[in-house]
Amino acid sequence: MGSRTEVGVIGSAVFAPRDPGRMSLEEALHAVTKHALHDAGIGIDDIDGIVVAANDQLDGRAISIMAASGSVGGVGRDILSTPSGSEHAFVLASLRVRSGMYRTQLVVSWSPLEVDSISETQRLSNDPYYHRALPLDDLSSHALQANALEAKVPGLRAAAVQVTVTNRRHGALAYPEYAPAPREAVLIAGGKMLRWPITDAMVSQPAFAAVALVLASDEWISGRGNCKTAWVHGLGWATETAYLGDRDLSRLPSLQAAAAQAYQEAGVDAQAPKFDLAEVADATPYQELVALEGLGLCPRAQWVDAAQRDAFGRDGPTPTNLSGGALSFNPVFCTGLMRIAEAANQTRGCAGAHQLPGVKTAVAHGASGFAMQYNTVVVFGQHSRETTQ
Amino acid sequence: MKAPRVGIIGIGQSQFKARRSDANYPELVREAVTLAMGDSGRSLDEIEAVVYSLAPDALLGIGNAERLGVDAVGARNKRFMRINTGGSTGISSLAAAHSHIAAGACELVLVAGADKVGECGDSQTILNKIWDPTYERSLPLGTITMLAMSAIRYMHKYGMTQEDMARIVVKNRAHAALNPNAHLRAPTSIDEVMHSRMIAWPIKLFDACPQSSGGCAMVLASEDYIRRNGLEAVWITGVGHSSESYYIGDRMGIGYSADHADAQALGEACSRAYKMAGVTDPVRQIDTAELYSPFSNTEFHAIEAAGLAPLGQSPRMLREEGCFQIGGRNPVNPSGGVLCANAIAVTAMVRVAEAALQVWGRAGAHQVKGAQRAIASGNGGDHQFFGAMVVEA
Repeated sequence: MGSRTEVGVIGSAVFAPRDPGRMSLEEALHAVTKHALHDAGIGIDDIDGIVVAANDQLDGRAISIMAASGSVGGVGRDILSTPSGSEHAFVLASLRVRSGMYRTQLVVSWSPLEVDSISETQRLSNDPYYHRALPLDDLSSHALQANALEAKVPGLRAAAVQVTVTNRRHGALAYPEYAPAPREAVLIAGGKMLRWPITDAMVSQPAFAAVALVLASDEWISGRGNCKTAWVHGLGWATETAYLGDRDLSRLPSLQAAAAQAYQEAGVDAQAPKFDLAEVADATPYQELVALEGLGLCPRAQWVDAAQRDAFGRDGPTPTNLSGGALSFNPVFCTGLMRIAEAANQTRGCAGAHQLPGVKTAVAHGASGFAMQYNTVVVFGQHSRETTQ
Repeated sequence: MKAPRVGIIGIGQSQFKARRSDANYPELVREAVTLAMGDSGRSLDEIEAVVYSLAPDALLGIGNAERLGVDAVGARNKRFMRINTGGSTGISSLAAAHSHIAAGACELVLVAGADKVGECGDSQTILNKIWDPTYERSLPLGTITMLAMSAIRYMHKYGMTQEDMARIVVKNRAHAALNPNAHLRAPTSIDEVMHSRMIAWPIKLFDACPQSSGGCAMVLASEDYIRRNGLEAVWITGVGHSSESYYIGDRMGIGYSADHADAQALGEACSRAYKMAGVTDPVRQIDTAELYSPFSNTEFHAIEAAGLAPLGQSPRMLREEGCFQIGGRNPVNPSGGVLCANAIAVTAMVRVAEAALQVWGRAGAHQVKGAQRAIASGNGGDHQFFGAMVVEA
């Protein structure tokens, strides 16, 4: 694979918020596409193919890619959709460029919020016979996962509160306009209980966002010159089974599998991975910790101590979610692609107020589904793999 | 850069029926997977990635229903993603799997799915929900009325008659009678089609596809893997996709972006697939075609988009020359096509599967003699997303 096509992220954009009374979803998708192309310094004519990710139930359309097609420039183009996860859209777009059949790809995902009840919508994902009668939505599944973790790791709740504090601090710097939730430990721990042990202050309210990235091949990038690029060094993605009863919710073997794939591709030592920063799934603070373990960045035995030492803070040894993560800004469904975009922007040196100086490598992790069923890992580098090797 | 060749080494499909009360949704997927894995001679443990083919999950009544299929396809702790481009999902899923292998990320990829359209109640009620809730959903739009308007436009533009449409049904039913997996296998006549119940003028009951239940799975492998293991294979040599606008209104009236009579984006998808495969003269170089045509009228514009007839000429070429029947110049839908089985999530995959069986020489009673190169297509959304694939022996 030494001569394979290398893939880089050369542009990205996030569009939020949106007033549904003044701006349609299509207009928001057009805006985010335009901004991402502008960031990449190219036009839609330079785009060879598009991968979008949207969720039919949240969109209220039976084939949600349809509405996006015109807005993201899909007419007359090769456009596919990965409704299983926004992060899967990034994976497929990367594979398409890497195949050598496409020079460029546009990736777009979004999080509409016009559904009457996100919880009821999510419950439709349960099998109709055994689980749909249960009040099982994303948050309930995440709470079950948190319970399973608390049963295994003494003192975990305090660590979860500290992770929330850290991410909210990051979010206040990165996106102060999106991070209105409490930042003080006492308020986070003492919030209204939503699903034990998750309080309302431990999660962020669902928000609208659209996110877009532009990917290109090494040959195309070298032809353009002067592109700020985050090179995709490694990709991994894997799934758990759907039935929660078949899983040990305190473990994520699919994340370990995804990390192993990505690290092998990137030439990262899986026993001692080291990155300048991480952007990981954190619909709850418990998810961030189990993600860091799955990525080999912090075993559970060290969670409590690491959180208390602020190890995941901006100045810590493992800076994590400098964007504030989903704990600060939570566009449901596209949070995975948001994590990937944030890690790419940090690697490109385009992260704005929350840019960490000197980022050469970053790892992104996205998760979708009940209790993190799908897990995706992307390793970014400032230089292409060929240069690195 | 030329992409590495990707081969098809295993194919499995259900016998499509109106109901499959004996199998729940994951079991139906598993049925196809078992057949495909058996056909490939490989084990599920060897599969490195699964691309899951599932169109609107509203047809199943389960949101994100691919999650429930993870174990059915043996994907636990493996690479897994779902594709949905509506009716073209099956061919889009194969294109995604092709990218997995062409990118060098995997050597062996399973593509699988199933649908229970026959058990969803009324698919048209669900499919009305594909349209924009503000502008077009309140109209009596379903996929039938949508393509009835295309038929009217095609009639006006090219002079197609209802008898021409019926001739497609008669041809495809005759083909399906030879295909044990087809849902509708009873031969019919022009007279019977013409006297079937009118649904949306000029589309009558027999002009329309059935609501089918069943699954399909295919195993794709890299050329290296196939050579290394001494496997039999046929090859995907061309892949192309393109799309039209979302709003039906954009294809009608003054200043339309694409004529609703034709399948402009399908033509672009086929051209891209042909270019990749080095096909320059489809009439001479394509031995048979499996073209996604859920209504009799749409087979005509699909034939033309695939370059097998000039625009507006395919009705005459079928009527006067029998060009598109088995034994004709370019047999189209020798399996019976979508008109004889439509389990939406996998229908476009079945098109590629049938094209592959043809060039493999394994199509049984509906084999087109000497077929070496075939094209398959898929349509999705409101006649919006189109995929095409060239398959060669």
